[in-house]
Amino acid sequence: MKKTEIIYQNGDHKWIAIVRDPAKPDFLIDTNEYLVTHGGQGMLLDPGGLEIFPAVFSALATEFDPSAITGIFASHQDPDVISSLALWLEFNPEMRCHLSWMWSSFIPHFGGTAATFSPIPDEGMTILLAGLPLQAVPAHYLHSSGNFNLYDRSAKILFSGDVGAALLPAEQQGLFVEDFSTHIRHAEGFHRRWMGSNEAKRQWCERVSQLNIDMLCPQHGAIYRGEDVQRFINWFGSLQVGLLRT
Amino acid sequence: MTDQLPVTLRSEPKGAALDLLHIVRINEEIKAIVAVAFKINIMALNAIFLAKRAGTAARGFGVLSNELRSFSSQLRETMLALNGLIHGSVGEVSVLLQDSRYNGVLKSAVSIVPLNSRLSAVMARRDQRTVEYRGRLSKVRRALRSSVDDACRLVELGGVLAKSAKIEAAYGAGFSASLAQVSGEFDGVVEEIRVSLDTLRRSNFFKG
Repeated sequence: MKKTEIIYQNGDHKWIAIVRDPAKPDFLIDTNEYLVTHGGQGMLLDPGGLEIFPAVFSALATEFDPSAITGIFASHQDPDVISSLALWLEFNPEMRCHLSWMWSSFIPHFGGTAATFSPIPDEGMTILLAGLPLQAVPAHYLHSSGNFNLYDRSAKILFSGDVGAALLPAEQQGLFVEDFSTHIRHAEGFHRRWMGSNEAKRQWCERVSQLNIDMLCPQHGAIYRGEDVQRFINWFGSLQVGLLRT
Repeated sequence: MTDQLPVTLRSEPKGAALDLLHIVRINEEIKAIVAVAFKINIMALNAIFLAKRAGTAARGFGVLSNELRSFSSQLRETMLALNGLIHGSVGEVSVLLQDSRYNGVLKSAVSIVPLNSRLSAVMARRDQRTVEYRGRLSKVRRALRSSVDDACRLVELGGVLAKSAKIEAAYGAGFSASLAQVSGEFDGVVEEIRVSLDTLRRSNFFKG
């Protein structure tokens, strides 16, 4: 079973990280799921693949009623992000899935009906969770061509999807980045290979530099907080991406 | 970390997955029968020409060749109808396969949090749906079996026609040898179809 950790709380407004499953088979990439709660409703960010549903569900259920999840945010279309969709819908068939317009006719192959999907336009949009505004921030081509991050202005948290992801070794499984220079070595190869466009990366760095961010939460690896957020943006800004080293 | 397989990859094909494998085999057998039915059609056409050349002595053989030609087109139609049922079965089995995959994942969640009431409610609803899906598949299974039985009866008739053609060939005067060869081929081909249909009848899909 995964563990949950509340990384932000202000009344019933919470960010809960669902992370690190010791029973996960090695051949499945490790993923972080995040649950944002507010006003008795929940939004699950990148709910994960079908195979890890039991681990995510059981961890989440210890903190929150799964039938009160009213929304799912999918940063992009990958199976490790959203292939569990059909099972989450079992708990609330009215649940909306927010994702790039580009994938709104692809993801239904994982489940849902026409009413399930709320396509996000390229420029992004505000998604409300029981009145709490969450901003879908464009991150196209990082790595998916239709890709969004989710910014919570009130909590000052940016869910960054694959941006900031790191493939951590078994002995380095902390939830937060503790030593940036050590950590970033595990992120470098991933970003060079998965991120396809230097121009898209530059635009993203400019865009998120204007946001007030206390925590940058990726879908894989550890969370950047405090000064490590800007350190990451600077590091990413100077990294040459879209390279295949043979 | 463990090297344990994920919940959906642990077992050999069984249940709906095994049904799907059986359907694939049935479909291959049907394709083979359709190909043979086409062969009979061509053979019957040639036999009609041969009977015409043989004249009055082969009039009976000509009538039987016409009947065999009509038999081949009926067989093709029956096989096409079977194909439609096969497609229906694939649809129903696929629904059950996905259902069983999702149920497996949910059961795995139940084993971790057995007392979660939301999960129990979802499982109960899904169990009910599974019963409905199984009922639908049973219906298609019965329809398919009934169609295979119809095809078998049709092929029995084909067998009788082929054997009668063999007898008629004996009255073909100077064309007897050629007519006997053609009627022998008819008999062989109809026997080939009969064997294929017997294989279909014994398919484990119908035992499910």
